[in-house]
Amino acid sequence: MIELANLTASFDGAAALRDATLSVAPGDRLGVVGESGSGKTLFALCLMGMAPDAANLSGSIHVDGQDMSVASESDWQAIRARRVAMVFQEPMAALNPLRRVGVTVAEPLMVHEGISRQAALARALALFKEVGINEPEARLRQFPHQLSGGQRQRVLIALALACNPALLIADEPTTALDASVALRITDLLVRLAKERQMALIFISHDLATVARATNEIMVMYGGDIVERGPTTDVLETPIHPYTKGLLAALPKWLIAQRDAEGKRSRLATIPGSVPPLPELPQGCRFAGRCQNELANCATERPALQQKSVGRSAACHLLDRDAS
Amino acid sequence: MSRRLPTNFILGAILVALVVGTAALSLVWTPHDPTLLNIPGKFDEPSSIYWLGTDQLGRDVVSQLMAGARNSMAVALIAVLIGGSIGVSLGLLASAIGGWVEDAVMRLADLGFAFPALLFAIMLAAVLGPSLSNAVLAIAFINIPIFARVARASANQIWTRDFVSAARAAGMSRLAISRDHILPNILAAVIVQATIEFAVAILAEAALSYLGLGAQPPASSWGRLLSEAQTLLYLAPQLVLYPGLCIVTAVLGFGLLGDGLRDITDPRLVRER
Repeated sequence: MIELANLTASFDGAAALRDATLSVAPGDRLGVVGESGSGKTLFALCLMGMAPDAANLSGSIHVDGQDMSVASESDWQAIRARRVAMVFQEPMAALNPLRRVGVTVAEPLMVHEGISRQAALARALALFKEVGINEPEARLRQFPHQLSGGQRQRVLIALALACNPALLIADEPTTALDASVALRITDLLVRLAKERQMALIFISHDLATVARATNEIMVMYGGDIVERGPTTDVLETPIHPYTKGLLAALPKWLIAQRDAEGKRSRLATIPGSVPPLPELPQGCRFAGRCQNELANCATERPALQQKSVGRSAACHLLDRDAS
Repeated sequence: MSRRLPTNFILGAILVALVVGTAALSLVWTPHDPTLLNIPGKFDEPSSIYWLGTDQLGRDVVSQLMAGARNSMAVALIAVLIGGSIGVSLGLLASAIGGWVEDAVMRLADLGFAFPALLFAIMLAAVLGPSLSNAVLAIAFINIPIFARVARASANQIWTRDFVSAARAAGMSRLAISRDHILPNILAAVIVQATIEFAVAILAEAALSYLGLGAQPPASSWGRLLSEAQTLLYLAPQLVLYPGLCIVTAVLGFGLLGDGLRDITDPRLVRER
């Protein structure tokens, strides 16, 4: 349904997304994890044809067989909402404060399907019910400031679902919400994806949320896809040193673990921080922070290679272990 | 939310209410017919019949000032509306399309700014012929670049907001987003600018009429009253004073109101009151 091949996005010659290759089929639920600056959001925007103007794109994007890398803005407009739709991170900021939320949701219906305002509002009401907004009739006429964070995120999900997209991209949909609401929104997205046979790309830096929502996972670092595989396998037996580092940094181990002297162990961290884009190493992006660095890591780029069925990683350690 | 309104807003609102009220009143009632000549009764002292006396042709000064207020308001309103809508549309368009279109529109606006506005209005009025409607056109024209700039600057800010991305992700075209999402969110800035430009337009109308390029006799206008009275400065200095005071009141009122509105709507200007 959606195919990416070697999609690269660079700013002033520095690649913020390198050779993303991916295909998404109906019913897939793919998690994308990585820290800030790993290229997750840029990746999502590329799928929507909404990469910033300053980004220099290469590689290809095919949606339903149509080559979108040569598509115009109006070609993309025809696809957005109907084939690919997106839920944004900040439910506070992603709704126009001056519009009633019902109108916001009804709008793409009027634009894409040419139906009347009345009919579109009726569809918006049905969507509000589907995404579990309480008192849906009254909500239609309310403004964003009258809704709670969770309700606003549901409105945004309704907006994204309005034209029955085949793929829904959720960019950190729960980051701005408190934990219990976040859980319900996550479950709602999974339920909708299953009921509608819709593909879901769930972007998050919260591994627990991604584990709950997805059956496949893609780990990104510095614009590279460093590891891919079924969610449970990747989280249980990570291959790439970065994935290992991410998992070791989960605070759940902190509670029980004490070292020999009975002192609490410190939370494991990945040393250093992500360097600014132009200073990322040309080889493996993780070189310089990696515990197991080899001589060629900083200069020679490891390819994403299959390790076992459905599992792949981009790391020179794999070659060394194999030989 | 019981924040006190800024003083300039209150003062401006009072002056504007005074001027607009007078102009509105003149539509239905003036003490006398402002164009009625009464040569034997010229240069009358203020009296219970002629509150501010009469002019060199025996016309009632109060009635003329009221009719002048009406013309000033009408000219300023129409000119700002025309110039504002064209300017805002251009600014929105520039911001929506970006690239060379934006550059072209903004460089044209720069060109408009580079030319002294009043001089340009005089030139336009001279080419089109002196009349009140041509004065309106000229003032509207000099307003276009001002509004284009304000609209584009505010719109560019709104384009970076998440709800615009959400609307784009929902497949809406840039023009539809401009209409439904950008315009309502820049309206506050546009209204503030319009109020200030209203003051400028009143001044411009007075200047054009003073130069004989605006209101033609017998239509009354503050600028024309000023130019007629100028020749009689030693004989009847009060005749210069009255229209001058009217112009000052109106310009000051709209200027203060615009500043006050900006103080209220722009959160960056919050300060101790």
